[in-house]
Amino acid sequence: MFRRTFFVSVMLFLLVSISLAPAAAQERTQIEFWMWGAQPHLQDVIRAVLVDTYNESQDQFELVMTFRNDVDSVIASVLPAGGGPDLVYGSGPAFVIPFAQAGHLANMEPYSEMYGWRDRIIAPIYQSGTVGGDLYALPNSLNTMGVFYNKVLFEENGWEIPTTFEELEAIMDDALSQGLYASVTGNKGWRPVNENYTQMFLNHWAGPQVVYDAITGAIPWTDAAIAEAIQKSADWFQADYLAGEDYFNLNFLDAVSLLSSNQSPFFFGPSIVFQFATDFYNEENGNLDELGFFPLPSKEGLPSPMYILGTAATLSINAYSPPEVQDAVASIIDRIMTQEFLVGMAQGGWPGYWGVPISQMDINLDDFTGLSRGFLGVIQETVSAVNAGNFGYAPDAFFPPATQATLIEVDAVWVGDLSVEDFLASVQAAYDEDQAAGLVITPPSPGG
Amino acid sequence: MRRWSFQYYLLISPALLLSAMIVLVPGLLTLLVAFTDWNGVSFDLNWVGVANFHKIFDDRIFWNALGNNIRWTLLFLTIPVAIGLLTAMLLLKRRRTKTLYQLIYLGPYVLAPVTNAILWLNIVLNPASGLLRQIRPYIPRDSLLAPLRSPLSPDVALFTVAAVDIWHYWGFLTVVYLAALRQTPQELVEAAMVEGANALQLFRHIYLPTILPTVLLMFVLITIFSFLTFEYVYIMTNGGTGSEMLSTYAYNQAFHKFQYGRAVATGLVMSAFGLLASFFYVWMSRREIRA
Repeated sequence: MFRRTFFVSVMLFLLVSISLAPAAAQERTQIEFWMWGAQPHLQDVIRAVLVDTYNESQDQFELVMTFRNDVDSVIASVLPAGGGPDLVYGSGPAFVIPFAQAGHLANMEPYSEMYGWRDRIIAPIYQSGTVGGDLYALPNSLNTMGVFYNKVLFEENGWEIPTTFEELEAIMDDALSQGLYASVTGNKGWRPVNENYTQMFLNHWAGPQVVYDAITGAIPWTDAAIAEAIQKSADWFQADYLAGEDYFNLNFLDAVSLLSSNQSPFFFGPSIVFQFATDFYNEENGNLDELGFFPLPSKEGLPSPMYILGTAATLSINAYSPPEVQDAVASIIDRIMTQEFLVGMAQGGWPGYWGVPISQMDINLDDFTGLSRGFLGVIQETVSAVNAGNFGYAPDAFFPPATQATLIEVDAVWVGDLSVEDFLASVQAAYDEDQAAGLVITPPSPGG
Repeated sequence: MRRWSFQYYLLISPALLLSAMIVLVPGLLTLLVAFTDWNGVSFDLNWVGVANFHKIFDDRIFWNALGNNIRWTLLFLTIPVAIGLLTAMLLLKRRRTKTLYQLIYLGPYVLAPVTNAILWLNIVLNPASGLLRQIRPYIPRDSLLAPLRSPLSPDVALFTVAAVDIWHYWGFLTVVYLAALRQTPQELVEAAMVEGANALQLFRHIYLPTILPTVLLMFVLITIFSFLTFEYVYIMTNGGTGSEMLSTYAYNQAFHKFQYGRAVATGLVMSAFGLLASFFYVWMSRREIRA
């Protein structure tokens, strides 16, 4: 008797669940948003700041976020097949352009006019997401290369913030002589980290004008100034300045861990590293004020301070989503492109990845503490430098895809497997193919 | 007779059609793409003949990757095979603990590659918090063991990744070889022992001939898998300088450079080596049947 009653109860429960579930789902249309597999505590932040607030603001759509580490390759596979998320995450304009050209992404120009994005977003960043003059992607964040430094070690050793390459190298030599790392960084698990160091030397050693000329084809990639910059990066690697023997065995989390445990004075990295710093610099450890950041010095004669203009990711709209969903996605992107969202994410506990590229900011840094303060300060300084025309070019924002991917292979030069000349010849060959495929975009000229 | 044949064809047609749709058609399309400039994103593609093959054959990274795949194959045809055979022979005489040992040995094999790789990267090889940090001070920079100081540096990365993959794989070989060894007729073993054969002679003249078809089959499968290997290399080093494989080379072309035609051409080269191994196996099998 009991078994029969139990069985009937279970069946009834299942029937009720099945009949109710579609009814509940039908109430709201789901909007899919996939992005890379951020750490769980960071996922909670965006769920609270974006997903929950959006879902509570209306009753027609439900924003659903999925975090997956293979987001790039999955999107590359499903988008051409007419599938994929409605809000399309891309790992930079260079990644997105081929999809825009193939018609897999919606033209966002009407939304740009509706929401006034062209006036709101920093011009060079806005331009990086356009194809043929129309907007297809909006970068979610400014991302600039710079130097994170350990304030404790600086104080103990009486070091000053370096303003020239010579001063920087002197501190690294001093650190090496003490048995410390000269700097911590590495490409473990993510080889594109290499391009962080090519862009450092291309922009701060060869200079933004040279980079601009190479991107636009005015000079070849084998130009002497570029060769000198790549050679400089190899010199640094061979002098153990880039994490010594551990460059291939450290990722950003490992590197920040070493920086926070006073094993290195520097971490040359992009400003998105602030998000990894939250694990090691926090109130619990009582070291929120021990992490500093300054722009990389430039070679004599080049603009300084200069900030490389890069992006963390891009946001686009799936061309195959229904029109009403596309409208909703645009409204979500508009929510993101605000100072309110930038501050909300930084204060909520995810600084580093959501430095929304708005051209006018009204932020009083005194209202913030810890990493939020540091990150917002970097974003403010970057915006000021860009508005003043002092910016360089990040590969993921301005270089065509094959050229960008080939520059990542620079570690073959560093370890002595390849000459600078042969490496740059391969970059030039990749650039020629990009150009033939129509993938070269004209970036904003140096100096604005 | 003809009517029956028609019925047979009719009966197998669903399976045949399904196979054609999921194997033959994608296979032919893949073959075609290798001769185009398709970027994998748009439907706009042009016939470029054998240009993709010329491009990859002119690329030093392709030859590095091919060399690494050959090294990888040689490592896998020797080290895990030797360990597997040795442990299988040792387990053969264990009556009570045989199953337990097999379960333990299979542990790493049933775990996902990403789990194994992350375990090794974080617990053993991590210079900030892993075992490496503890042992490195005892490894002099100028000693023969110096490469162990930085196990993912390009000059040794291939061997480090192979070691992790071998660690996960050899247990599977043990189980396969043990299953084959247990098929050896006991009367042959007993006769040899009565004749005074030692352990090596027993293995060489009794067990090995019995398990030879299994050993050969595993040789072929190892060769095929070695040319397709991807997960451990991609997770641990992303390929690149020192540990680029044909698979990571193809992946980079497809998903970073948007050169799918060239990636597919690379994939065809990988398949060619697997095909070669398969032909070798078929030839050996036929020879064995004739004998």
